[in-house]
Order: sequence, then C-alpha cells, then structure tokens
Amino acid sequence: MLEIKPIFHALCRSKVGAVLLLLQIAITTAIVSNAAFIIQDRIAFLNQETGYPEQDLFKFNVMTFGKDVDLSQQFELDESMLRALPGVESAAQSSSIPLSGSGSASSFNLKPAPQESKSVRTAYFFIDEHGLDTYGVKLISGRNFSEDEVLITNSPTDRTTNVTVITEALANELFPESDALGKTIYFGDLPLKVIGITAPMKGPWLKDSHPNNVALIPYIQSRTYAQFAVRAKPGQRAAVMKDIESLMLKNYSKRVINNIRGLDELKDEYMAADKLMMRMLIVLITILVLVTALGIFGLTLFNISKRTKQIGTRRALGARKSAIINYFLVENALICSVGLFLGVIAALLLGQMLMQHFSIAALPPSYIAITAVMVFFMSLLAVLGPAKRAANISPSIATRTI
Amino acid sequence: MLKMNNISKIYQTEMVQTHALRDFSLQVDEGEFIAVTGPSGSGKTTFLNIAGMLEPFSEGEYLLDGIDVGKLNDNQRADVRNQKIGFIFQGFNLIPDLNLFENIEVPLRYRGIKANERKRRIEQCLEQVGLASRAKHLPQQLSGGQQQRVAIARALAGEPRFLLADEPTGNLDSLMARQVMELLEQINRDGATIVMVTHDPELARRAPRNIQVVDGQLADFTLYQGTQNLKNAAGV
Repeated sequence: MLEIKPIFHALCRSKVGAVLLLLQIAITTAIVSNAAFIIQDRIAFLNQETGYPEQDLFKFNVMTFGKDVDLSQQFELDESMLRALPGVESAAQSSSIPLSGSGSASSFNLKPAPQESKSVRTAYFFIDEHGLDTYGVKLISGRNFSEDEVLITNSPTDRTTNVTVITEALANELFPESDALGKTIYFGDLPLKVIGITAPMKGPWLKDSHPNNVALIPYIQSRTYAQFAVRAKPGQRAAVMKDIESLMLKNYSKRVINNIRGLDELKDEYMAADKLMMRMLIVLITILVLVTALGIFGLTLFNISKRTKQIGTRRALGARKSAIINYFLVENALICSVGLFLGVIAALLLGQMLMQHFSIAALPPSYIAITAVMVFFMSLLAVLGPAKRAANISPSIATRTI
Repeated sequence: MLKMNNISKIYQTEMVQTHALRDFSLQVDEGEFIAVTGPSGSGKTTFLNIAGMLEPFSEGEYLLDGIDVGKLNDNQRADVRNQKIGFIFQGFNLIPDLNLFENIEVPLRYRGIKANERKRRIEQCLEQVGLASRAKHLPQQLSGGQQQRVAIARALAGEPRFLLADEPTGNLDSLMARQVMELLEQINRDGATIVMVTHDPELARRAPRNIQVVDGQLADFTLYQGTQNLKNAAGV
C-alpha cells in the first residue's frame, strides 16, 4: 500500500532536508550523465581502430655521424637486412611514425599552388614500396608503388616523384562525388597522381582535426637522421627490438640507434593525458555517487531517529514492517523524482555549455536517461538499509514517554 | 474479550533478569471499563504493551477475542492491532507532519479501507470528538486536550471493540482531563471495551472496575467493586 499523498504532504511541511537532498541528486545526475558521456567518448577514442597491428610494430631512430658512407645505399642495405631477419615481416624507412604524435602534415589541393582550389589537411609519409606492407595496411583499390617509382635521393631538391597512395577518407574528402583513383592532387605545386587507395590508417595524431587523411609519397630522402618502422612476426617483436641496435651497428657502426619503441607504447604516451582525464572523471563520478548515496543514507537515518516514536506509533496502529519500509522508499522516491527532474534539465544545460566551450558532441538523451535510472535505483538501495532498521523499531516505543 | 492466563514477562540483560509481570491472569469481558492502577515500575505499562500486542510475553497464554496471540507472527499481530484495538497514548502520539484528517487516516490506510469510506469515518469521528472544523489543522496548532481528542478519534475511526488507553489524561489539566474522561465513558456506553492504565486515583475511581498491579502481579482485584457492593448493601 503506497501512501503517496500523505507522505508528499508531510514532506512539504518539513522540507529543508528533502530540498538539500533533491539538489544533491540533481547535481549528481547532471554531472554524472555528462561525465559518463565524456568517459564513453574517451574510451571510444582510446580504443579506436587505428588500422595498424600495433602490438607487432615498432620504430627506431638512426643518427649517422660517419661521413664515409652513402646514406641512400646504406639504408637500402639496412632495409634488406631487416626484412631478411627471421622475426620480421617487413621494414621500411618512414618519415613519420603513425600514432606517435610527431610527423608532417600539409594541405593537399585539387589545383597547384598558388591557384585557389579545394584544400584538405593531410598527414604525409615519405616511404618506399614496402611501406604498406610494413604498416600492415591493405589496398582497397588501385596499386602500390613499384620499386622504380620510388625516388631515393641524398639531395633535398630532387622532386621527380609523381604518384601517391592515399587513404579512403582522404579520397572521399577530396573527391566526394567521384573516384579519386587516377586523379591528380597537388602537394604544394607538386602534382601527384593517385594510384592506390588504402583501407583506413591513422596519421601521426589521433587528436588531429583530420586523423584519417593520410598520403604515402614514394620519396626517400636519406639524411643523417632517419626513422625506420619494422613489423615483427606476431609475438616476436620484443626479441627483434632487443637485437636491433647491435644488428644495425654491425651493418655500419658510425651511427647511433635509439628510441626503439613499440607503436602501442607511442600511442599510450600520446594518449596519456586523455587516459588521466578519463580516470579522474571516473574517480569524480564515483565519489559523487557515493557522497549522494551517503547523503540519502544519512538523511534517512536522521529521519528515522527523529521519528522513532512516530514509527512505533504507526506500528502500534497496525503498520506491518513492510509498510514502514515502503514509507521510506516512497518518501525517497518522491524526493528523488523531483531531484531527477531538475537533474535532467541541469544535465541538458551542462551538456550544452560543454558543447559550446569544449567542442564536445551533444549529450545523447540516453545518457541522461540511464544515469537517472541508475541514480534512482542507487537511492532506493541507499534507503533500504535504514528503512529496514526503521521497520524493526518496536511498537512498544509508542507507550514510552521520551 | 481479553483473557490472560499466567502471563510472565522477563526482561533479560547480561547481568540481571527482571520479572516485569509474574503469573499475571486477568479476564476482561465485553463492554467492561477497567482502570489499571499501580505505582511506578509496577508493570502497568508492560501489561498494557502485552495487552496491546506491542511486545511479546515470555510465558503464559493470552487470548484476545478468542485469538491466541502467542501463535501470531509479526504481520498477524499488526493486523489484529489494526482491526481490533484502538490505542490512546499519554503523549497523544499524533504525527506532527500530518494534519488531523491525515492523522486519523493512518490506521484506516493500513487496513486498506477505500478513500470514500475513510473520509466518511474520519469526518464522523472528528464530529464525535467535536473537532470537525479543524480537519486541516496540524496537531501543534491545537491544545493538549484537543490533541488527545484527535488521538481518540484516531482510535475510534477503525471501529475497534477494544480500546487501550495509557494515561490518557496524564498530560492534561483537570478540565480537559474531565472532558476526555467523559468522552471515554460515552464510548464505553456505545459498546467498546476499555482498559485504561492510570496512576490518578480520581480517574480510576470513575471506572466501574479497578485492578491494581504491584510488583508485576495483580494485587487487589475488586477493591473498588467490593466497596461499591458494600455501599449498595448498606443502602448508601
């Protein structure tokens, strides 16, 4: 039997505690629903498909100080040696390393600069024909570079390359209406014919405005500072990484091999701030929910001690234990409902504010709904213990003079 | 109506056992008005609590309107209290956040009586105790005597056959006490059985039958009745 009306009237007559509690519930709902959405958004961001077998990939830097070497030739030898290792699938010199947070990007245009045309931000990798295989990325149409399309040079002014392989995302953005394959795009004033389109692969910056726009350009500029990417066979990366320095130095010793890092490690480092923020938010909402639950718990305990005689009297007048429990559950549900109503409005307002100021996507109503339902059940759970205690108050309290 | 056979109530703490009631036997017939008196700590309240099924007893047998109270579970006891017993407490025990109407409604709601019927009964009972115009008032807006009348209305609303009153005038001045007493007498004339615990001998004397509890036992069963009979016999 639910006594909604008299409970509501009683609440209206002594409302300070109830108002404080419903405000707390409202604030909790508003913050938790928004925080949950941000957390979910971050989790999706952290777990997004990058297009790479991150566990198998690693990179290292080569800094050559010896002057008695033709770098182009040396790097060719190095690549061959790396690819011949039993634990290695493929290896390539790569001007940028995906997911690492450092690389190169530029505007790719439909017409040569300085003519005005559609311009799309794109991360580019100078890499040879082994690049796609090294990064484990599949072509979805067209073809890869051939060996003789790759320009390997020691001179910074050589620019005779004229083909590119781009990601599907970039192709769609440059040519939303038609197939990009065979079209020419411009890297500054350098024309590049699109010969292949790849499955999704991310650029160096996951937080970039266009993280999926990547162009591979078959151009190897051999410099004293170079980066290599290596894809090991599954499960063998650690062993290969351990040996890489000595193997490279065996090929040519007047250089330093360092920064040997797994791709997953680089990604984790790049995402560290996001992970931290996510954890802080999780801690925040956990504390908030706990504080609210404790608030409900405490207020109910307080109400019970304040109403001991009343509860005893109700029992004497014929209330079963279940009626006493129901009383407190209904009372809490009433407070909670008003709090949730305010909380939903506050959540929407807060969501809008966050959207305006922090370029976060609009808070989906489902988050508010789920949070509201969870807060409601949490509050019922918090009140259940004290309510059971109230139900155990002896009816004989009614005849005691307190 | 009420029959207690050798009821004992023992309060057990770690160190001591206290016999609040000891081999207590009493029979109250339908329509009686009994005053229970006795010094403080004699076991009056324990008797009242057991009679009202507010607490369990340790030994013995208690039949209320033919129901063996000792065999009831907690819910059944609550239901019997609700249906058969009207309580009037010394401190009135009105619920401060509820107005008079809602206060009287409390036991009726527990009985599951429909809203229309509740309204009818509450209005009738408020009328009976002379507070019909105050239905929307809160208890604290009334005098002590008025509050006790509301409490009586609450006890009457369930139309119980058995009223238990615990020092019903203990917190009232003599004028109000008299009014409340008259009300109880009226209710008794209307057919309800009343057991009233009091330590006010004046008040007790107005009840047709007096019993006294001393050290947890029935001390003098028909002292007043006996004197009354003597008086009658002497033609006084």
